[in-house]
Amino acid sequence: MEVFGDLLFGFQTAFSLQNLMYCFIGVFLGTFVGVLPGIGALATISMLLPLTFYVPPTTALIMLAGIYYGTQYGGSTASILMNLPGTPSSAVTCLDGYPMSNSGRAGVALFVTTLASFIGGSIGIVILTLFSPSLAEVALAFGPAEYFAMMLLGLVAASTLSQGSPVKGIAMVLVGLGLGMVGTDVQTGQQRYTFGIPELSDGFNLVAIAMGLFGVGEVIASVNKIRDQKADQRQKITFRSMIPTRDDWSRFWWPMLRGTGVGSFFGALPGTGTTISAFMAYAVEKKISKTPERFGKGAVEGVVSPEAANNAASQTAFIPTLTLGIPGDAVMALMLGAMIIAGVQPGPRLITEHPEIFWGLVASFWIGNVLLVILNLPLIGMWVKLLQIPYRFLFPSILMFIAIGVFSVNNNTFDIFMVLIFGVFGYFLMLLRFEPAPLLLGYILGPLMEEHLRRAMLLSRGDPSVFVTRPISAAFIFVTTALLLWAIYAAIKGKINPKIDD
Amino acid sequence: MMIAVGLWFMNHAMESYSIGTLRRMGPGFFPAVLGGLIAVFGVLIALPAFFREGDPLGFEGRPFLMVCLSIGVFAFVLERLGMVPAIFALVFCAAFAKPGPNLIENLGLSVFLAVAAVAVFIWGLGIPIQAFRWNI
Repeated sequence: MEVFGDLLFGFQTAFSLQNLMYCFIGVFLGTFVGVLPGIGALATISMLLPLTFYVPPTTALIMLAGIYYGTQYGGSTASILMNLPGTPSSAVTCLDGYPMSNSGRAGVALFVTTLASFIGGSIGIVILTLFSPSLAEVALAFGPAEYFAMMLLGLVAASTLSQGSPVKGIAMVLVGLGLGMVGTDVQTGQQRYTFGIPELSDGFNLVAIAMGLFGVGEVIASVNKIRDQKADQRQKITFRSMIPTRDDWSRFWWPMLRGTGVGSFFGALPGTGTTISAFMAYAVEKKISKTPERFGKGAVEGVVSPEAANNAASQTAFIPTLTLGIPGDAVMALMLGAMIIAGVQPGPRLITEHPEIFWGLVASFWIGNVLLVILNLPLIGMWVKLLQIPYRFLFPSILMFIAIGVFSVNNNTFDIFMVLIFGVFGYFLMLLRFEPAPLLLGYILGPLMEEHLRRAMLLSRGDPSVFVTRPISAAFIFVTTALLLWAIYAAIKGKINPKIDD
Repeated sequence: MMIAVGLWFMNHAMESYSIGTLRRMGPGFFPAVLGGLIAVFGVLIALPAFFREGDPLGFEGRPFLMVCLSIGVFAFVLERLGMVPAIFALVFCAAFAKPGPNLIENLGLSVFLAVAAVAVFIWGLGIPIQAFRWNI
C-alpha cells in the first residue's frame, strides 16, 4: 500500500497553485490544438519547450503532458463535426463520428467520446501507477550493455511499427542519430561536424529541430491544404442533445473497456503510440461485432473504442519514458528532451531520485483528466466556435510563436535560421513520405546510445559479445532482430500499415 | 517525375555516403559506422525507387517560399528593429503564402499578435527581448 502514500505525496505536489495553474494551461491548450486541425501536440509542445526553461521541471512536465493527453480529448471534436481529424489519432473517429453528426446525433457522439476518453485515460493512469515502480526496480539492474540493447530495440520498434515504410523509418532514425553526433564529443572534447561554426559546438538545438520539422514543415504543407471550412451550424449542441439513448449505453461499456485494453497495451510498447492504438481498437471492434455492417454509418462503438484507446495509450506511453528513459514516440522524445535540458536524468532512478516529478506528474494526470471533462462537456459550444478561426489567421500566428520561441532559448538569431533550415528539410521529408518522428527519436537517443556503447565496450575490454552473453541484453537483441526480420518480411508482402478495410 | 524522384533518392544516398568516409579514430567510430549504415539504407530506398511508378511530388512553391521568407525576414528585422516590427514583417510576408492576401485583415492580425507577444513574452515571462530597438 506504499503506492497510496506516494500518490498522496504526488497530489501534494500537483495541488500547489503553480502546478495546478500550469496543468490547467496544458490541458486547455491541448484541447485547443486538438480541436483545431493543422496543428498537433508535437508542434505545440515544441513551440512551448523554450517557455519551460522559465519554470521548475515538474511544473514544465505537468504542462507539456497536459497538452499531450489534452489533444486526445479535443481531437475528436473536429472529426465528429467536420469530418476533419484534429489530430492523427482521431482520424478513425471520423469514420463513425461524422455519420452520427449527419444524422443529428453530434451531441451524443461528443458526449460518449468525452466519457470514453475519461474512463480510458483513468484506467491508463492506474496501470501507469501500478506498474512503473516495479518496472523501474527491474531496470536498476541494467548495465551499459542492457541500456544500449534496449535503446536499439526502442529505435527499431519505433521505426518499424510506425506508419509508412519501415526502411524509410530506419533511415530516418539513422539520420537522427547522425544529427545527434554534431557537437562536442563528451569523452574526448573533440568537435565533430561543426565545420568551425561556434554555435554548433553544443550540437543542434533540440527546439530548433523539433519546431522546424513539425512546426514550419507542417505549416508549409498545410497552407493550401486546409480550406477555410465552416463547421456545420445547423444543429446546436445542447445538453439535451447529448443524452445517449438506452441503446447507446448498452453499446458503450464493452467497446470502451476493449478500447482501453488495446490502447493501454500499445501505448506502453515503444514505438506504437496513440494513432496505431486507435486504429487497432477500431479494427478489433469491427472484427468482433455481430453487426459489422453498421460500422462507418454512425456506430457508437466505432467512436467509443478508438477514443478510449488513444487516451489510455497517451497515459501508458509514459511508462517506458519515465521508468526506462526510452521514449515511445516523438512527443515522449520531446518530454525526455525537456527533462534532460532541465538537468533531470531520465531513467529507472527517476522515481527514487525525483519522486516529486514522477508522483507529481501522475497526480496531475488525474487532475488534468477531470479538468478535461469539465472543459469538454459544458464548453463544447466554445470549441465549436473555435473551429471557425480561418487558417489564414492561424498560420502567421504559429510562425510567430515558433520564431520568438526559438529565439528566446539562446537569445540568438542563429537558431531562427536553424529552424528555417530544418523546416525546409522537414517539408521535403514530408513530400517524399518520410516520417520525421523517428528522426527526432534518433536525435535524442543517439548521444545516450553512443555513451552506453562506449562504456559497455570499455567494461568488456572491446569484446562485442557482451551484448549476447548477458541475458537481458541478449533478449533485447533477440526481439530487435525478430522485429527487423518481421519488418523485412512485411515489407516484401507490402502489408505493414494497419489499414482498415471498409 | 519518376526520374526526378529516383535521382533525388540517389543523391540522398550519395550525400549520406560522404558522411561515412569521414572516419576518425576514437570519437569517429560511432559516426563512421552510422555513415555506412545510412549509405546502405540510402541504396535500399533508391533501388526500389527505380522500379516503381513515381508519384507526383506535389511541391508547392508559393507557400514554401513565403513561409521561409517570413521566418528569415523575422530574424533579420528582429536584430535591427526589435520584436514588434519583426512581427509585422512576418505576418505580411506570410500573408502572401495564400493567394489574394487581405492587407487590412493582416494589419489587424499583426497588431493583435504584437500586443499578445509583448504581453506574454516580455511582461509575462520576462524573456530578454526588445520590443523596439534601433540598430542598423
